[in-house]
Amino acid sequence: MQRRSPYPYWFLLPAGTIFAVFFLVPTVASFYFSLTYWDPFEARFAGFENYQQFFSEPFLARGVMNTLIFAVLTSGLKTVLGLLLAVLLTSGLLGQSLLRSVVFFPVLVSTIGVGLLFQELMHPTEGAINVALEAVGIDGPGWLTNPSLALVSVALVDVWRGVGLATLIYIAGLATISPDYYEAARIDGATRWQQFWRVTVPLVRPATTTVIILSLIGGLRLFDLIWAMTRGGPGFASDVLASVIYKQYQAGFWGLSTAGNVILFLLIALLIVPLALHLNRREADL
Amino acid sequence: MSDVVLKGLRKSFGALEVIKGVDLHVASGEFCVFVGPSGCGKSTLLRMISGLEEQTSGMIEIGGRDVSRAEPKDRGIAMVFQSYALYPHLTVRENIGFGLSLARRPKAEIAEKVAEVARVLQLEDYLDRKPKALSGGQRQRVAIGRSIIRDPQVFLFDEPLSNLDAALRAQMRIELTELHARLGTTMIYVTHDQVEAMTMADKIVVLNGGRIEQVGAPMDLYDNPATPFVAGFIGSPKMNLYEGETARALGAGSVYGIRPEHVTLSESGGLWTGTVRHVERLGADSIIHIEATGLGPLVARVEGHRAFAPGQIVHASPIDGREVRY
Amino acid sequence: MRPRQVILGIVSMAVAFVIFVIPFLLVIFTAGKTAADASQIDFTPPVRWQFWQNLVDVVQTRDYQLLLAYWNSTVITVGAIAGLVIFGAMVGYVMQRRDTRLTRALYFVVLSGLMIPPAVVPTIWLLQEINLFKTLHGMILIQIAYGLGFTVLLYRSFIAAIPRDLDEAAIIDGGTPLQIFFRVILPLLKPVTVTIIVVQAIAIFNDFTHPLYYLPGAENVTVQITLYNFQSQFVSQLNLLFMNILLITIPPLLVFVFFNRQIVAGMTAGGVKG
Repeated sequence: MQRRSPYPYWFLLPAGTIFAVFFLVPTVASFYFSLTYWDPFEARFAGFENYQQFFSEPFLARGVMNTLIFAVLTSGLKTVLGLLLAVLLTSGLLGQSLLRSVVFFPVLVSTIGVGLLFQELMHPTEGAINVALEAVGIDGPGWLTNPSLALVSVALVDVWRGVGLATLIYIAGLATISPDYYEAARIDGATRWQQFWRVTVPLVRPATTTVIILSLIGGLRLFDLIWAMTRGGPGFASDVLASVIYKQYQAGFWGLSTAGNVILFLLIALLIVPLALHLNRREADL
Repeated sequence: MSDVVLKGLRKSFGALEVIKGVDLHVASGEFCVFVGPSGCGKSTLLRMISGLEEQTSGMIEIGGRDVSRAEPKDRGIAMVFQSYALYPHLTVRENIGFGLSLARRPKAEIAEKVAEVARVLQLEDYLDRKPKALSGGQRQRVAIGRSIIRDPQVFLFDEPLSNLDAALRAQMRIELTELHARLGTTMIYVTHDQVEAMTMADKIVVLNGGRIEQVGAPMDLYDNPATPFVAGFIGSPKMNLYEGETARALGAGSVYGIRPEHVTLSESGGLWTGTVRHVERLGADSIIHIEATGLGPLVARVEGHRAFAPGQIVHASPIDGREVRY
Repeated sequence: MRPRQVILGIVSMAVAFVIFVIPFLLVIFTAGKTAADASQIDFTPPVRWQFWQNLVDVVQTRDYQLLLAYWNSTVITVGAIAGLVIFGAMVGYVMQRRDTRLTRALYFVVLSGLMIPPAVVPTIWLLQEINLFKTLHGMILIQIAYGLGFTVLLYRSFIAAIPRDLDEAAIIDGGTPLQIFFRVILPLLKPVTVTIIVVQAIAIFNDFTHPLYYLPGAENVTVQITLYNFQSQFVSQLNLLFMNILLITIPPLLVFVFFNRQIVAGMTAGGVKG
């Protein structure tokens, strides 16, 4: 007779059941439903119709492109600014801990609140940003009303909101670098610039991997900020996959909406998995 | 009656066999020490007796009862861990009473037993402290207290002194020996330190590579080591061991051994001649490292600090009857 | 502190003030203005403070909907966190202590759960099938499912630092698996549990997307949804809109002030390990 383990598998059951029913089942089901004409009343098999539509209808294809642009733009900015801010906020400057709190606080604030706030601040004529620009003689753009600018404006707000988390992760990463490296580099005559590029950047790599991957996933999945600020507009100029999914669901095109979901899933998997493997491999080489 | 009997005990982790058939009888009331180098399987053997590890084959009897497949709690054992495993979130009182509280015994009974144990171990003043506010020796005593309260047939100790400093370790060796004398319970004690084994045990079990090398009383092992491994393992400094041609020249079949304390040195003459390489002075005695002609490195132990200096030529001889030959 | 660090600090604080603090000051100022005064958002204190009046107006909007929303959000947050902590710790414990093919496969599933976007419409279909659509229970279970990845990951790495000797001592003391978990392990997880509670509470309280999909209906509103709903109503009353933003920013602000250390620990641990 096998004695029972003190770590029984049934401990996994409560969480496992909830996770399986509310996450895994819908995820698996989405592959089937994405192949159907599905509305609140019926689901008929449709083959790859939904997917075809996604890439042939300009306003849907635009959503796919915008998702990529948005994710790459925000992830890149968060990575670069996060590292610079982290270096600044670990250099022992006056008010360092206060500054860390100030930079981090927006991470905790309701995204909808931030979105509505900036929607007002970015108002073309009455918003505080353009009023301030006007005071110094600059004619501010229609941040959210100009179709070629709207997506970028939302991306900037997302960076404003999320850079604190990147900074925090980088600060934790910088704390793991032994001061010996910097002292050795200084004895070898390295300038501050050289220390940054030759010591900090390579040694903080694990944090960089984390920041890039987290912010890419977040960027690809983002919905609430865009919905609060532009609802994908003007027109479809700032639509991303997540907002398209919601709009199609609202319009009753459940199959199309689900196909969008699957595309988003594949996009994330195809982008993140190779990237994570690549970044982790280079990390292991260090 | 609380004998511990192991019959044909084996344990494999996957393809790796770590215990390769152990038969052993620990008599009731005995203080038995498992000793051996790291990786010899002594801890695994103890964990199998406790029931934390399940044997691959073989049988374990405690107090005449087959407990081979019994749960740890049903084996009548208690265990003191190397790390003491005190629950950091509980006070000393709660730590000692934890087992009884798990068994849902009445509060009054628990309090009474905890008080009794605390008195025996002189822990009364520390009952409301958390483990982190205790010294190493006090933690050790709490860990023992937690075992005593279970009133076990057999105590199991897994290297319980290895986290203490040298002075405290010497003191705890005495305390444990006294505790054993007082309780008269069977104790099985695992250590890699042959000094602990020699000073505390009624019976030493020397393990090597998953097998028993020798079982016997401490002086038995010292005087009559059954194998070259035991000869080399028991005693400090290590016995001088020679193999091959050298050993055969000294009348041994394959291995010849002589303990450093059984080598006499003289300036005039002896069996071997050599040059002093290095001298370690310990105060009461000195360890002399010699490079002997036709023998190789030879270590001798002499009383006091007789004036041997590196480079000096000395003559050495074994004391008759103290040589071992295999 | 060298002069360089003082100057750099002052410059940084000035820049941070403009970029990060002014927007929040604007919220506070505007929330205290009259509707006419607030029609143009600018950086001036209110001509006449009517903070309290605005607060009452927002709370009373649509028959005290905000109070209902606070109640609903609290129920969801508390329920989901209770489930996450207990069930998540159980999973993290067994996954860390028992290294088998099954637990390794499940760990991979948990990790991928952090990455995969939930399939929303099929989830709605499923919730309808089991009569949990538009219910707080359903929402709680959804939040547990979505929060498990982070929770299990954090617990698993924290449990790795708890010596196994403690479990084994309890096994020898005759503890059942449940006793060992609840009386030895769970109390030792307190620091990481506080972190998980704080971080997940903020995430669930601030969640807008999932209540939008799974919890429609006026009687089910959550705090974030109210803010979104009121937007159209407050279009000419920006003072009330900003008062509303202020009201939903206060809970996370308080949490941040009291649990700064735990939040930082959780965010970085979850991030670096993930």
